[in-house]
Amino acid sequence: MTDYLTFGVVVGAYLLITTALAYMGYLRTKSNRDYLIAGGRAHPYLMALAYGSAFISTAAIVGFGGAAALFGMGILWLTFCNIFIGIFIAFVLYGKRTTLLGKQLDAQTFPELLGKRFDSNFIRRLAGVVITLGMPLYAAAVMIGGARFLETTLNINYTVAVAVFALFVGGYVITGGLKGVFYTDALQGSIMFVGMLTLLVFTYAILGGVTPAHQALTALAAHVPESLAAAGHQGWTAMPAFGSEYWWVLVTTIILGVGVGVLAQPQLVVRFLSVRGPRELNRAVIIGGVFILAMTGVAFVVGALTNVYFYQTTGQISLLASISPATGKPNIDTIIPMYINSALPPWFTSIFMLTLLAAAMSTLSGQFHTIGTALSHDLYQRTGLLVSRLGIVVALIVTVFLAYKLPPGIIAVATALFFAICAATFLPAYTAALFWKKATKPGAIASMVTGLTTSLIMLTFFHAKGATALGISQALFGKPTLAGFPWVVVDPIVVSLPLSALALVVVSYLTQGQEQALPYYDRQKAFAAASD
Amino acid sequence: MLGIPDPQVWLAYLLCILSGLLCVVYGVLNWNRD
Repeated sequence: MTDYLTFGVVVGAYLLITTALAYMGYLRTKSNRDYLIAGGRAHPYLMALAYGSAFISTAAIVGFGGAAALFGMGILWLTFCNIFIGIFIAFVLYGKRTTLLGKQLDAQTFPELLGKRFDSNFIRRLAGVVITLGMPLYAAAVMIGGARFLETTLNINYTVAVAVFALFVGGYVITGGLKGVFYTDALQGSIMFVGMLTLLVFTYAILGGVTPAHQALTALAAHVPESLAAAGHQGWTAMPAFGSEYWWVLVTTIILGVGVGVLAQPQLVVRFLSVRGPRELNRAVIIGGVFILAMTGVAFVVGALTNVYFYQTTGQISLLASISPATGKPNIDTIIPMYINSALPPWFTSIFMLTLLAAAMSTLSGQFHTIGTALSHDLYQRTGLLVSRLGIVVALIVTVFLAYKLPPGIIAVATALFFAICAATFLPAYTAALFWKKATKPGAIASMVTGLTTSLIMLTFFHAKGATALGISQALFGKPTLAGFPWVVVDPIVVSLPLSALALVVVSYLTQGQEQALPYYDRQKAFAAASD
Repeated sequence: MLGIPDPQVWLAYLLCILSGLLCVVYGVLNWNRD
């Protein structure tokens, strides 16, 4: 562990610069439009880093890095999805048209965009409700991750750590709006980029180079514990056995759930509304793609390779090295921090700790902003800087309350739960809003309601991790889950997303003709609005 | 390839790098479009 003084000085300097950037955001926030979408004139570099750093939380680096130590390099399919779907498809296909449709309809939040496109205040409010009820769970999960980390690295009380997080991040979001979020995101994203690249170089250097490191990892396949092999584990440079428990978890939850779920995340979609036009997104996609490759690509490769390091130094694979003396159980969330502390030079520990702090703050600031604006702009439907700021104050209070009160089991599944709900509720309607002229208002409503209800039912009664954590199935039926294998390990998105899309198509065809009154994307109108 | 025997895994490793490059090339080629 690095000494507290060095890390304290580094964190102090970081907080000081962040405060200065936040103040700059505050000075440049003159209107509600500035507050909600950074004036609609954000620089592509800022927007790309704000998108990437909000996308990647501490959990993506530490939690999923730990999962890579367990599952191996097959998890790199998620990195491919993150870059190809989460950045390339998101920016080039969805993003450009979202920017233009947002200008054409003068929409400043994701719910407002959907509501105006389908001429439905119900849709706008329903999207607002899903965000204000669902996203605080995800934000609380990020905040707890950040606070636990401050607790262990700076040796401060957990309650104090949550308060520091809430007041600091909340402070700059409330005062600076999306400009404050973007300026601080740019600093935080840059720190994350440097931290992760350094980690990759060090790891390959320690293990003797790229190919030797991979060969050493391949050779460990003989040391897969029997319990893992029974679940389908075939080594860290091989995919799990087709159809095994690990295969289903890796393919549906990790790759599909997170890989596709990202397209319909309201806090990311609002980034597209913040730029001047599609040309800016052509430029932003460069930074976005390289940034995500440096985040999850590095975290997953290094996570898998920690097995080689721990085997060479302790004779154990990472999972066994992570067994806590107190509980006797392995904890994959400790693998990456343990590796950083024991394998890398002390000065790097401070840099990496700052990387994790920046990752938590940049994700949290985007969440606070989105929850707050959903409350003030889409549910209460009032505009003005004071109302927008009060919305974020409420978002902050709700998230802090959840961070203190939620049981650990729910926090662990909160992120996946929110991603699954967002994908099923929003993705078909959002896709149709951009690309399908024949979609009707009843079709969009049917899709959102179907997606929301089926994903909630799946999570409550069938999906083992969600159902066990919620405990509703146990209380009603005396069984933790009502389904059998493989449905207990299949992510709800596999069922709820197709059903939601089906509802959209069927109901839209049944109500054909109703779409003619709706505003649809018009390139000329959009460009005219964008140049105003 | 690169010390990874399972084609499903080295393909993922390669695709990560290629998709990152795709973003860069697309951005450079379309710098002033739209």
